[in-house]
Amino acid sequence: MKRQFLKAGMAGLLMTGILAQTAWAQSDPTGKRRVTETYAITNATIFASPGQQATKGSVLFRDGVILGIGANVQLPKEAQLIPGDSLYVYPGFIDGAGLTGITKPKDLERPKDFVSSAPSDEIAGITPWRSASDQFSISGNQVDDWRKAGFTISQVLPDGGMIPGKASIMVLGNDRSVNVLLENTALAANFKGSRGMYPATAVGVMAKFRDVYQNTTLALDHSKLYASTAGVSRPEMTPTQTGMAAVVQKQIPVIFTVESDLEARRAISLQKELGFKLILTGLENYETVVDLLKSTGVPVLIKLQVPDDKAIKSQKADSASVATKAQYDRVKEAYEKALAQASLLEKAGISFGFSTADTKPGDALKAVQAMIKNGLSEKAALAALTTNPAQILGISRVAGTIEKGKMANFVISTDSIFKESAQIKHVVADGYVFDYEIKKKTAKENGKSDNGAVKVDGVWEYTSETPAGSSGGEITITKEGDDYSGTISYDDPSGGGKISTPIKNVSLNGKTLTFEFEVNAGGNTLTVTISGEISGKEMDGTMSVAQFGSFPMSAKLTTPSLTF
Amino acid sequence: MKKLKIILAALLGMGLNYSQAQTPKGSVLIKNATVLTVTKGNLENSDVLVQDGIIKQVGQNLKAPSGVETIDGTGKFLMPGIIDAHSHVALDVVNEASAPIVAEVRMKDVVNPFEIGLYRALAGGVTISHAMHGSANVVGGQNATLKHRWGSTDPADIIMQDAPRTIKFALGENPTRVHGRGNNIQPRTRMGVEAVLRNGFSEALQYKKAWAGYNSAKGQKGNTTSPPVYNDRLKTLADILDGKIIIHCHSYRADEIYMLINVAKDFGITKLVFQHTNEGFKVAPEIAEYTMGASVFADWWAYKMEVYYSTAFNAAILQRNGVITSINSDSAELIRHLYHEAAKTQRYGGLTDDEALSMITINPAKQLGIDDKVGSIEVGKQADLVIFEGHPLSSYAVPQMTFVDGVKYFDIKADQDDQRQFVSATEMVEPIFLHAEDDHQCLQDVDAYFEAFQGAFFEEIL
Repeated sequence: MKRQFLKAGMAGLLMTGILAQTAWAQSDPTGKRRVTETYAITNATIFASPGQQATKGSVLFRDGVILGIGANVQLPKEAQLIPGDSLYVYPGFIDGAGLTGITKPKDLERPKDFVSSAPSDEIAGITPWRSASDQFSISGNQVDDWRKAGFTISQVLPDGGMIPGKASIMVLGNDRSVNVLLENTALAANFKGSRGMYPATAVGVMAKFRDVYQNTTLALDHSKLYASTAGVSRPEMTPTQTGMAAVVQKQIPVIFTVESDLEARRAISLQKELGFKLILTGLENYETVVDLLKSTGVPVLIKLQVPDDKAIKSQKADSASVATKAQYDRVKEAYEKALAQASLLEKAGISFGFSTADTKPGDALKAVQAMIKNGLSEKAALAALTTNPAQILGISRVAGTIEKGKMANFVISTDSIFKESAQIKHVVADGYVFDYEIKKKTAKENGKSDNGAVKVDGVWEYTSETPAGSSGGEITITKEGDDYSGTISYDDPSGGGKISTPIKNVSLNGKTLTFEFEVNAGGNTLTVTISGEISGKEMDGTMSVAQFGSFPMSAKLTTPSLTF
Repeated sequence: MKKLKIILAALLGMGLNYSQAQTPKGSVLIKNATVLTVTKGNLENSDVLVQDGIIKQVGQNLKAPSGVETIDGTGKFLMPGIIDAHSHVALDVVNEASAPIVAEVRMKDVVNPFEIGLYRALAGGVTISHAMHGSANVVGGQNATLKHRWGSTDPADIIMQDAPRTIKFALGENPTRVHGRGNNIQPRTRMGVEAVLRNGFSEALQYKKAWAGYNSAKGQKGNTTSPPVYNDRLKTLADILDGKIIIHCHSYRADEIYMLINVAKDFGITKLVFQHTNEGFKVAPEIAEYTMGASVFADWWAYKMEVYYSTAFNAAILQRNGVITSINSDSAELIRHLYHEAAKTQRYGGLTDDEALSMITINPAKQLGIDDKVGSIEVGKQADLVIFEGHPLSSYAVPQMTFVDGVKYFDIKADQDDQRQFVSATEMVEPIFLHAEDDHQCLQDVDAYFEAFQGAFFEEIL
C-alpha cells in the first residue's frame, strides 16, 4: 500500500515536472524553438482560391491558423513580417495517395513450412490493419523536396502488397510536431501480385480481393448474430477482416492505384460488384475512360507527371522512310493526346486531384505547366492542387483555400505560379515558414549578349566535388570567330600548386558548354570531360573521367570578357 | 438486406456485372456469292441479307432494304466466321500459376481489347475466340469467349456476354511440373492430378451442403447457425457439378483422358471438352460417347515427352468415330490461318469439305455452347461472316472481309500498315516478345512466376 502510494506520488511529481516544463521553461537547448508563432505576409498578391480574383493585402496567421486576410488586417507587434511586395501567395498544395516520407516495411521472412499456394495474408501482401502513419517520417524520403515544390498536406499510402493498409493525411510541417491530421482515412489497394505465391497476378489479385471482401461481410454478420443470440459459435475475426471492416461498412473508401484505362475499369467493376466506396489514383493513361469516370462519379487522382518526350526528340524525320514517318506521326499524336488528357477531364466536368506517388518533385510544376499548355485551364490546375484534393480527402473545412480559420498552408512564389519563370520562395506548412533560395534568372540576365546567345567567354571560377574531396581552379575561355579556346587550372595530382593546361573540343550547344582537357596522373593520361548548363553567370554540370565516373561541378563567371 | 443481395449476387456467380452496353450491330446484303452454310450445304450464286446483326434471309435475288449496303460477292466464297476454341489472345494475364486449383480467377477480368492479335485474327477470318486460362493448374481459371469487335475500348464489348461459362482444366506434365516438381506439393504425378480433382469436387459438395444448411437455417427464429466461409474456388467447382460451366481440359495422353471421363462420370459431370487431345484417337469411342468432343491441333506435336505419340490423322479418326471435333490455334500466329489448318484434315484423313469446315465453325461453337447463335449461315443466327477469295480450304484462299454481328471489322482493301489502336507516347518502337508469339501460350506468365520464386526454373516453355 505504502509502495503504491509512493509510486503515485512519483508519477505526480513527474507530471508536475512535465507540465512545469511546458509552461515555464524558457531555455531551449536545441535552439530550434521559434521566436514567435505569429507571422504576417504583408502587401502580397493573394490568390485565396481557384478562380477567385487576386487581391493585394496581408495574411496574418498564428499557431498554424489563419487569423485574417486582406488590406486592413491589424498586425500585432509580435508578428514576424514576411515582406510580400512582389510575391504571389497561393493556398498550400495538397496531394492524395502519395508516398512522401514512407519507408516500406521489410518483407516478412518465410516460415519453414511455407506453402506458396496458400500463404498467410501478411506474407501475401494483404495487410489492411497496417497504417501509413507507422511508415511515415517527416524527415523521410522526399518530404523536403515535395514541400519545396509547394506541397503542404499529403495523404500518404502505406507501401506493401495488394492491400498494403490504410492511408493517413499528414501536414508537411515542422519536424518536431506530430504531423498527423487524420488516420485510417482510406484503404489502399492495387493489382500487384505477390512474388512467387498466391495471388501472383492481377487476375489472382481480383479473385483474392473478392474473397477478402466477402468473408469480411460474413464475419461481420457472424459477429452480429453472436451479439444478439445465445448459443452461436464464437466469431473469429481475422486481423484482415478487422482491417477491412470499415471498408465493407462503407465508412472509408478504397483507394485503388490504377495506371491504365483497363486497370481503372477493373477497379470500377470490382466496386460495382461489391459495393464499396472507391477513389482511383495514379492514372497515367485514361483518355478512353473519361466518360466512364464521369458517369460513375468516382473521384480521381491523376499522376503528377507528363510522359517524357524522349521518343519524340529522338525522331530523325529527315532521313526516315515514308513508313517510318507515319509511325513517327502516330507516336507524336499519342504524345500530344497524353499531354491533353487532363484537359479532357476538365471538359467533362470531373474534378480531379494529383497523386505524387512515383513522380519527381522537381518536375511537378513543369508537369502542371505542360498540362496547361495543352488545354487545362489555370483555374482547374490550381483547383487540382488545392480545393479538389481537399474535397476528395474530406478536409475542405481546414484546407484548400486561404480563409480565416483554415490552416496556415501557403505557397509563395516570385511570379504567377504557372509561369515558367515562377520560383517558389517560401512555403508555409502548418504555420511554419520554409525559405528557399531564389535563382536569379531572367531573360535580360547578364550572361546573355544582346542577340540572345549565351555568353561564355571570360574567366570562370569552378569547384568540383570528387570522392577525394573538393577541388577547384579557373577556366579561361576566349572566343575566336565562332570557335572557343582556353585553359583550365587544377590541383596538381602529384601535389603542390596548380597546373594550367589548354582545353580542347570546346563547344557551346544552346546553353550547354562542353570541353575536354588532359591530366597526367602517374604516367597515365586521363581525358576529363566537362559539361555544364549555363544560366546567367552560373554553370552547373559534371566533370567526368572515363573509368572513374562523373562528379558534380559548378562554376561562376567572375570576369566576363568585354563585348564590343 | 442490401448486403445479403450482394452476397447472393456473388454466390450466384455473377461475373463482372458490366453495364451491358449495346455493341454495334450492322446490316448488309452480300450478293451472288458461293455460300458455304456448313450445316445446310453449299448455295451457288446466293445472297445473304443481314439486318441489325442477324442473318435475316438466305436465298437468291434478295433486295437490299433502303440504306443497307450491298456487297458484290460474285466469284467469292462466303462462310461463317471462324471460331477458335483455344486461344490466349487479348488477355493481359494467362496463368495464375500459384495454386493447383484456381477456379476462382476469371479471364473476363483481364481482357485487353487493344491487343493487335484480335485484328490479325480477323484478317484470318476468325470472329470468335475462346480466351483461356493457361495450363499450369489442374483446375485453371474461368475462360472468356470473345467476339472480335476490333476498335472497342471497353473489354465488356468484346466479351460474348450470351456465351455460357467455361473453365480450364489441365492434366499431365504441366501441372505436375509446376506444382509437384516446382513447389513440391500435390500433384507430382498423374495420380496426384486425379486426387486433386476428386478432393476438389468432394470439398465442393461439402461447401454446397454447408451453404444450403446455412441458407435454410438463416431465416428461422432463434437461428444459431453462423455463415460458412465464402470460397469462390469451391463455389465454382460446385457450379461445374451443377452443370453451369463447361470444362475445357488440356490433355494429351489417352490414359489421362479416360481418367477424367471416369472422374466426370463419378461426379455426374457431362459438360466436358478435351483440348489438344493428341492421343484422342486411341479413346475416340469413349470421347464420342461421353463428352462434348475434342479440340485438336492439325499436326503439331513432339514438343515434350507426353506429346510424342501423335498423328495428323487424329482429327479425322475422332470425327469418323462420332466425336465433335474442332481444330484450334493456341497461338497468336496459327489463329491467322485456321482455314488452312482445317484443310489438313483432307490431306490426312480425307474429310469432306463440310466436315473440314465444321471443325473451325459449328463444332467449336458446339464445344463453347454457342451453336444456337453462331457457327453456320442460317436464318436467325448472329451474322459473323467471312468473304474469301478462293475456297477457304484451298491453299490459295485469302480472306477479304470479316464481319461480326453484320459489322465489317476487316477489309483487305482498307488494311492499313499500322492498325494499332493504342500507341505508346514514350516508345518509338514497342517491345515485341518473340517467344510468346512463337510458342503455345498455355504456360505464359509461368516462367516469370518461377523466376520470381526460385530463379530460372523452366527450360521448356510449352
